[in-house]
Amino acid sequence: MSGRTGTRLGDAMSYLFMLVMFVFFAGPLTYLLSMALRDKREVYRGAARYIPDNPTVQNFITVLNNSYFPIYLWNGLKLAALSGLGVLIVALPAAYAFSRFQFRGKGLSMMGLLLFQMISPLVIMVPLYRYMNRLGLLDTHFAVVMVYIALGVPLATWLLKSTVDGIPRSLDEAAMIDGCNRFSVFWRIILPLSAPGIASVFIITVIAGWSQFLVPFLLLTKNDLMPIGVGIFNFRGMQTDSSIQLLAAACLIAVVPAIVAFLSLQRLILGAMTSGAVKG
Amino acid sequence: MSPIAIEADSPPQSRTFMRRFAGAPLPWIMPVIVVIGIFYLYPVIDVFRLSFTNATLIGENQDYTLGSIANALSSPQLPDILWATLIFVGGSVIGQQILGLAVAVTVIRGEKRGLFGTTILRTTALVAWVVPGIAGGIIWQMLFSEAPYGALNSILRLMHVPTVAWLSDPAMAPWSTLISNIWRGTAFSMVVMYAALKSIDPSLYEAAEVDGATASQQFFFVTLPQLRAAILVNMILITIQTVNTFDAIITLTGGGPGRATEVISLYVFNIVFRNYDLSGGSVLSVLMLIISLGLAFVYASFLPKEEEQ
Repeated sequence: MSGRTGTRLGDAMSYLFMLVMFVFFAGPLTYLLSMALRDKREVYRGAARYIPDNPTVQNFITVLNNSYFPIYLWNGLKLAALSGLGVLIVALPAAYAFSRFQFRGKGLSMMGLLLFQMISPLVIMVPLYRYMNRLGLLDTHFAVVMVYIALGVPLATWLLKSTVDGIPRSLDEAAMIDGCNRFSVFWRIILPLSAPGIASVFIITVIAGWSQFLVPFLLLTKNDLMPIGVGIFNFRGMQTDSSIQLLAAACLIAVVPAIVAFLSLQRLILGAMTSGAVKG
Repeated sequence: MSPIAIEADSPPQSRTFMRRFAGAPLPWIMPVIVVIGIFYLYPVIDVFRLSFTNATLIGENQDYTLGSIANALSSPQLPDILWATLIFVGGSVIGQQILGLAVAVTVIRGEKRGLFGTTILRTTALVAWVVPGIAGGIIWQMLFSEAPYGALNSILRLMHVPTVAWLSDPAMAPWSTLISNIWRGTAFSMVVMYAALKSIDPSLYEAAEVDGATASQQFFFVTLPQLRAAILVNMILITIQTVNTFDAIITLTGGGPGRATEVISLYVFNIVFRNYDLSGGSVLSVLMLIISLGLAFVYASFLPKEEEQ
């Protein structure tokens, strides 16, 4: 009997904690939505108009129409998608090698990769800015994508290696006996079978690229090259207290694609992360 | 197996070459080496070199000197910056670790008991994690703002409680940035803790139950010791992430009021790209690098060794 009351009490406390946490995590985002749906007058009502009396989508229309926002969105998507692709091209062969070959210094180079992952982009941006400047690559999307790729490769290699590790070696061996060379093993067996891992690494890289601020902020100066992260930063600089609802709408437009991409592949991403580098 | 057994259609000679070429690991790893070499290793070495110069971002000429190091390290602002960084990083690590563990434990308990809302909570925490740093700063500014639209203060006003100067009081602002960072980062700890909790052998709990251990005894004498490695690794990862964070602070407080929330990464950013002081920024970059690498080495020594097959 007392055991059951204990469980009941535990459930009640779980629910209470879950509710508090839910408010903490979801509250800020719902307030952003609430602000984005308000007209000018309701903005000043603060939390009292949490659910606006006159919800309007005018703010979204204004943001998407007047400013550079569609261009920012397109640039953000382009840079993030290209870097996702580039990361896969660079990291997949290495993941295969790290999984299937035995060679000296393998453990050390895997560790080395992880160390690079821990270096702040800020540290490398200082010299990179100078090089890009000298090479005439400032204000090119090429430079930005290359840096994104470099930033994404270490983690991607680790995650993809653990995916390849999950494919039985006997498949490779059987194929080799049947006359496949390593390239065709990689192409015909490893790639198709690691599709879920590849998808999750791609989406992780794309979301990271979408969130990037520092790299494009430093390497790009022309407004029509800016991706969304820098776009909302600049947009914020132009807003005042009386146009806060526009900033909210802009912010929401920047946030939603990342959330949708993440949610649609949530299971894959978490699976890759927990079986990969994060595992203690 | 039949779809795999495909005849190679290239002539035998090139096949031998391909086999030899593809049979060595180096060609496969080459792209990673090139990319990391050009975009990571070289810049990092250059940061070290630049910190021994008096280079600026605009001038081309530079001399080798130790003056920049002395200047940067003896700057009267540095202690304040390091203090702000310590509060921000220390608070984030403690907050995210405890909250992440609490959420993970609750989610696992909820899943076991079939409680409503477990998945919703997990998903919501993860969504906060995906929000770009700049956007996170803007969102929290709307919550903390002392203007009429600020969410927290308008709630306090509705409740007839005195409002708080979340962002304009130098004593309060560091806590505000801390809260916003905990909001964004907790999901990461939750994922790590969730995975670690799942991998605990259930027979340990059965044994504890047989011995009559209460729920809290089970937590402190079974769960926590089993999580030790995961907690340590997680703390180091969060520390490095937080040391490097500045985009969320730029939009939330811009480092102010005064310098109350100017953490080292934001300071480096301002020195290099607002003051054009490349060498000074490089010195502090090296300092950040040393902090991160020191932590990374601790982290590496706790990872399981690469399995030998």
